[in-house]
Amino acid sequence: MRFDLDSYREIADSLVRNKSRSLLTGFGVFWGIFMLLFLIGGGQGLKQLVTREFDGFATNAAIMFPSQTTKPWQGYKQGRYWNLNYTDIDRLKQMVPDLETVTPVVSSWGQTAVYGTNSITSNVKCVFADYAKIEEPSIRYGRYLNDADIAQERKVCVIGRRIYESLFPAGGDPCGSYIKVGAVYYQVVGVDFSSGNMSVQGSADEAVVIPLSLGRKIYHRGNNIDLLCVTGRSGIRMSSLENRMQQILARSHNFDPTDKQAVFIINTEQMFSLMDNLFTGLNFLIWLVGLGTILAGIIGVSNIMMVTVRERTIEIGIRRAIGATPRDILSQIILESIALTLAAGSLGIIFAVQMLRLTQTIVNNLPDMSATFQISFWTAVAAAALLTVLGVIAGLAPASRAMNIKPVDAMRDE
Amino acid sequence: MLIELKDINKTYNNGQPLHVLKGINLNIDSGEFVSIMGASGSGKSTLLNILGILDNYDTGEYYIDGRLIKGLTEKQAAAYRNSMIGFIFQSFNLIGFKTAVENVELPLFYQGVNRHKRHELAMQYLDRLGLADWARHYPNEMSGGQKQRVAIARALITSPKIILADEPTGALDSKTSEEVMQLLGQLNREDNVTIIVVTHESGVANCTDKIVHIKDGVIGKIEDNRQHRSSIFGTDTIMK
Repeated sequence: MRFDLDSYREIADSLVRNKSRSLLTGFGVFWGIFMLLFLIGGGQGLKQLVTREFDGFATNAAIMFPSQTTKPWQGYKQGRYWNLNYTDIDRLKQMVPDLETVTPVVSSWGQTAVYGTNSITSNVKCVFADYAKIEEPSIRYGRYLNDADIAQERKVCVIGRRIYESLFPAGGDPCGSYIKVGAVYYQVVGVDFSSGNMSVQGSADEAVVIPLSLGRKIYHRGNNIDLLCVTGRSGIRMSSLENRMQQILARSHNFDPTDKQAVFIINTEQMFSLMDNLFTGLNFLIWLVGLGTILAGIIGVSNIMMVTVRERTIEIGIRRAIGATPRDILSQIILESIALTLAAGSLGIIFAVQMLRLTQTIVNNLPDMSATFQISFWTAVAAAALLTVLGVIAGLAPASRAMNIKPVDAMRDE
Repeated sequence: MLIELKDINKTYNNGQPLHVLKGINLNIDSGEFVSIMGASGSGKSTLLNILGILDNYDTGEYYIDGRLIKGLTEKQAAAYRNSMIGFIFQSFNLIGFKTAVENVELPLFYQGVNRHKRHELAMQYLDRLGLADWARHYPNEMSGGQKQRVAIARALITSPKIILADEPTGALDSKTSEEVMQLLGQLNREDNVTIIVVTHESGVANCTDKIVHIKDGVIGKIEDNRQHRSSIFGTDTIMK
């Protein structure tokens, strides 16, 4: 292969000579690489947006709450209400050793929280200290509830982000201040800034979390609990425990063990794996569509190069007659193919990067949204490398045809 | 002997086998100005292709300067063509999107001569053929005679031992035909280049020093034409 300025000029010349043809062919490659990169970036951003919603939530957990029975059982009619109670906690802990945490939640909705002249409507969530294993708090100030708070029924609370921002608009550490929620004053011991949108009994943003031992008395809940949250030990799939927990609850609360609707079990492990599958599927689709489009573009390039070679039979024959080796011809055709693919593809990469930047700017300007849509530098480099390889592949068939042109063809074709 | 052909046979096998060259024996010495004459279908083009290493032969031996030209790889053939043979075609065969000077440079490009040097050399040859002013023009802006002179410059630039001209006047009128033939004669005399012209026009053949008549794949008569008297039509000018 001979490289000097003229080789490059020749390649540029032959591409420019057929401007509209080069443009139309290049567009296929341009659009292909744009689609692939834009979809990759978009998929990644989307995944981040969705995953963020589940941030801090235990991935192998289940939430259970009672509902009306739908089947008659042992003399009880269908349509009966029943309640979870504190005994269920120990019952599940003892009978299902694979559970790591079993913790109840009682909540009271629509309580007004007041500090000084500021007030906001909040949800009071009464929990034990180990509730942190279900919904991981992201503590900004102070601490989360601890076992001593529970045991001594202290009037303390951990407040969510929005509560904090409304009651303490001046900012700063609110720990030690007393806020009034409903009719009771609580001392603030912590501020939870967790951002996930998946939460139990209302968003963590608007929650005032207090010790359950205290809450059951204040809200007169007696032995009843609203819901039970459980997590499995590591390596145990929550789905495999679901049925057993249902059986245990059915036996102790007298409903049909086959009555799936009597107890709602929301399984996060299932949700997360569903989401994972969804994104695996989405990724597969992205690659399928992206690569498919590029391939279509490459086939277009290959086709056009075929036409070019046919048109230039005489020219190639002349070159062969005056001393070009088959390799000279091969490299000329392949370099032309690479040049076309790479030029169009680079524009595609640039366009995709710009579009992703625009998307990222728009999305991140929306409230409560932040995600990285931009592809990494190395993804772009890999895309350029891919284009070069595809350019070679596209040039192979036309180049082999060009190599088969004999110098005599130049004289014969007149 | 510069060129030695010994019992060259060539058969085309396109459906029906066609025995084109039936034992050609021919010697051409360095510095000769030879024409190969024959009607179409006589095998003269095939002979030219073999002489130009554009085509291979079935049996026999072909030597250029004592080197056997047989069973060469494409790469070797290309190298020989590039260094030893210059081609002049009937239809000029210039590359349309390249200027005159770029066309002349092309053989040197494939020799790997650097850009500056080959441009300089190409300009020298164009100047010698009186086309220096036309160096930046494209072939379609030139007359037939000018185009053929560019083609001659391209054939000469590698200083080949042999110049093969395939009907060099086929696309020219009689006046330019004569000019081109005179130019070839002049190159033969001044530079001592061996020139082989393939033609079917007796007037063109008459301009050469030796006429090889080929008919039905065998060489008929070899005429010594140093007096340029072979054709009664060709004594003064080339008849068209």
